[in-house]
Amino acid sequence: MKRTPITVLAAISASALVLTACGTNDSSTAESQPSEETAQEDATPSADETVTVQLLTHDSFALSEDVIAEFEDTSGIDIELVSGGDAGSMVAGAILAAGAPTADVMFGVDNTLITRALDEGVFEPYTSPEAESLRPDLADQTFDGLVTPIDFGDVCINIDDTWFEAEGIAPPSTLDDLADPTYSGLLVVQDPGTSSPGLAFLLSTVARYGDEWPDYWQRLKDNDVAVAGSWSDAYYGDFTFGGGGDRPIVVSYATSPPAEIVYAEGEPPETVSTSSMDDGCYRQIEYAGILAGSDDVEAAQRVVDWLLSVPVQEDIPLNMFVFPARADIPLPEVFTEFAGQVEDPEQLPADYVAENVEGLLTEWGSVMGR
Amino acid sequence: MSHPRWLSWTWAVPALFLVAFLAIPLASLGREIINPGTASYLLDPLPWRVAGLAAGQALVSTALALAIGLPMANVLTRYRFRGRRWALALATVPFVLPTVVVALAFRALLGGSLGSGFAIVVLAHAYLNLAVVVRIVGARWITIDPRMELTARALGAGPWTAFRTVTLSALRPAIASAAAIVFVFSFTSLGVVLLIGDSSTRTLESLVLRQTSILLDFQAAAVSAAIQALVVGSVLVWAARQRALQRGGSARPMRLIRPRGRARWAVGAVAVAAALIVLAPVLALVWASLRSGSGWTLAWWSGLFGSNTIDAGSTRIGSPLSAMARSLTFALATGVVAAVVGGLAAVSVLTGRIGRAFAIATALPLGISAATLGLGTLLAYGRPPLDLRATGLLVPIAHALIAVPLVVAVATPTLRATDPRLVTVAANLGARPTRAWWTGYGPAMRTVMVAAGGLACAVSLGEFGAASFLARADGPTVPLVIARLLGRPGEASFGVAAALAVVLVIMTTTLVAAVDRGGRRT
Repeated sequence: MKRTPITVLAAISASALVLTACGTNDSSTAESQPSEETAQEDATPSADETVTVQLLTHDSFALSEDVIAEFEDTSGIDIELVSGGDAGSMVAGAILAAGAPTADVMFGVDNTLITRALDEGVFEPYTSPEAESLRPDLADQTFDGLVTPIDFGDVCINIDDTWFEAEGIAPPSTLDDLADPTYSGLLVVQDPGTSSPGLAFLLSTVARYGDEWPDYWQRLKDNDVAVAGSWSDAYYGDFTFGGGGDRPIVVSYATSPPAEIVYAEGEPPETVSTSSMDDGCYRQIEYAGILAGSDDVEAAQRVVDWLLSVPVQEDIPLNMFVFPARADIPLPEVFTEFAGQVEDPEQLPADYVAENVEGLLTEWGSVMGR
Repeated sequence: MSHPRWLSWTWAVPALFLVAFLAIPLASLGREIINPGTASYLLDPLPWRVAGLAAGQALVSTALALAIGLPMANVLTRYRFRGRRWALALATVPFVLPTVVVALAFRALLGGSLGSGFAIVVLAHAYLNLAVVVRIVGARWITIDPRMELTARALGAGPWTAFRTVTLSALRPAIASAAAIVFVFSFTSLGVVLLIGDSSTRTLESLVLRQTSILLDFQAAAVSAAIQALVVGSVLVWAARQRALQRGGSARPMRLIRPRGRARWAVGAVAVAAALIVLAPVLALVWASLRSGSGWTLAWWSGLFGSNTIDAGSTRIGSPLSAMARSLTFALATGVVAAVVGGLAAVSVLTGRIGRAFAIATALPLGISAATLGLGTLLAYGRPPLDLRATGLLVPIAHALIAVPLVVAVATPTLRATDPRLVTVAANLGARPTRAWWTGYGPAMRTVMVAAGGLACAVSLGEFGAASFLARADGPTVPLVIARLLGRPGEASFGVAAALAVVLVIMTTTLVAAVDRGGRRT
């Protein structure tokens, strides 16, 4: 909430830019046009009264522009999206700036990173009234009211069904299958030391096999698993479906199959030839919290309420390809039909992860010879 | 020789720039992190082992970049042939291709034969850095009078001896500059290493990223970053020593040579090979931007420009057109800032006694990791009392910081080679000091500043790491949009990313060619 003349000016010119962009790009959003015009009329006279909340997010954050515009219109709060790089860098930045933050609200810190952020006093406690609508399994995940769960996603094994059909082999259905010689040379994972889904998959094997996890990885290694540096490299480089690769099993997300439908060429196809394996998925929960030291806590609280409100929660699946944290949000059809529906995901306590991640990575490196 | 008085103060501008945007951010970061216990991390063998690995990898990458880049520099900057200017601009393309794009293109081209690992990482580094060799060595090579070598031949030297004793020895400082920069870029590489590397190609930069953003172990990260800065600093000191060996010569561009006889074939062969090497990944991108699972398609291009833009109405990607406009604005701002700051730095290196140390200081941003710089800038200028993010200035400033060392590296060898007696002559003929100085150095300054400004624009167009920290989340640059697209599934994501990468190549080539042309005119 920085009410200096420069930021107000910048906010005005930025919102003018957004409006111009909408104006030149209106053919696909014709129905939302009237509300944007009223936004423009309202914004001009009251511009000196609006406050700006800086919302720190990671690279994967996305919402519909009109959902944001509607909130700004009705609340008198302008949202300035601030990029913190990838999720890890964003949290690192927030920890280094603890107490004198670079934004008011942070969205997108997940359960592998959150413990350190909590320990360093990054957040100001707040329990949103909207939290009553959280899914039962997320309701108690607020770390003593310091953060609010906003969405969750599952890192799962994805399978190129067409490939398995053509080869006449039954696709794998459990983590143990992946170490079976039938599937030798077919799996590509990401390096957990450089890739967020790679780390999630490692944690899911730790959750499943406990102290025996290095043996499981030894079996994967004996089964000729490939390790890519990043999700993009694995999915677009090695995976048979995403690009020209030669491995039909990849670590990705439960929502990658619906994304393949939404981001297809032309009309959405009726089906997709990848599927998500329901066993061995690791659940990532993303939280929002008010950064301690924010100078307009009240407005920041309203932004957290808004993130958990029905319009945003309904908007989340098709923008970020994760699941809403509220219990009362109907999922889009591509999600109900094609996303992996994970009943019983693998999870590890956040503080266990924080304490052990370095050791796990070192041991993984020595097992895999990397 | 009498320099005009203002010349002894030129260092103030680049010095202020470095203090404000390098020293203060690093100090803000250091204050949060470093305490007496940090030193104990120096005993950890891990960062030292990684430094050794990275040094080996960077040496091989540098050797390969020189082996391919030197013949290209020779042909593209000295010989007259049709399409030369475009070929020279194209040679800059590898430098700006987002590393994600190069990595995927190399994998697509070389297939499973290389996979991930040392060989493909070294190839990608050599490819990305071709422009550094061509631009820096070319800027010097064009000023070497070919008659010198002919004279040596006439005096009885064999072709190799003549080349070695005349041309190569004149080029040595420029080659050292270029080699040092390629080494530093390969030593501090991040994107390529993360995408297609394995355990044999780790860099301190990737270690820093892991320590900051996965382990959140800032003290260990500070030590890794310090070791990296130390190695980079030593390499730069070495390069500065080499540059100091510069002998006199002309600083004016020679007339282009019209190749005759066998030389025609040699020039043609190198030009064609250069075009193939540079364009192969680009053609792979063009191909990817026109293909879908069902055959040829224009859908990805209309996803960029058409009525049904990809992700219209979502903040994820933003409008591709506005990202292009934004990147272009940042690039031009970077070009101007870097040319001014870097040019003044090069001039002060030339004159003052503080020269050498100062030259090394201006080159230091090369050794500071993007994550370090991004976090430091954020702490210094991303929160009250001084929040500069909304001004949109932080990205061009960070880009200029990265580009200034390149400007200095391009400018210094040529400026040093300028005959200072020209200034004396002009002064003796009655010119005032400033006028006399400009008579001597003006032509070389103009050529060099324009070349360097073009390179700085290119740096900005392709830069990813610093921009990901400092750009507004809803105001991404083109490389950020490409990375966001490639970070999610879907045929359209990949196709539109490929189309956007082709656009980035076109933007770069056009901008650099235009800048080069402007440089020739003035």
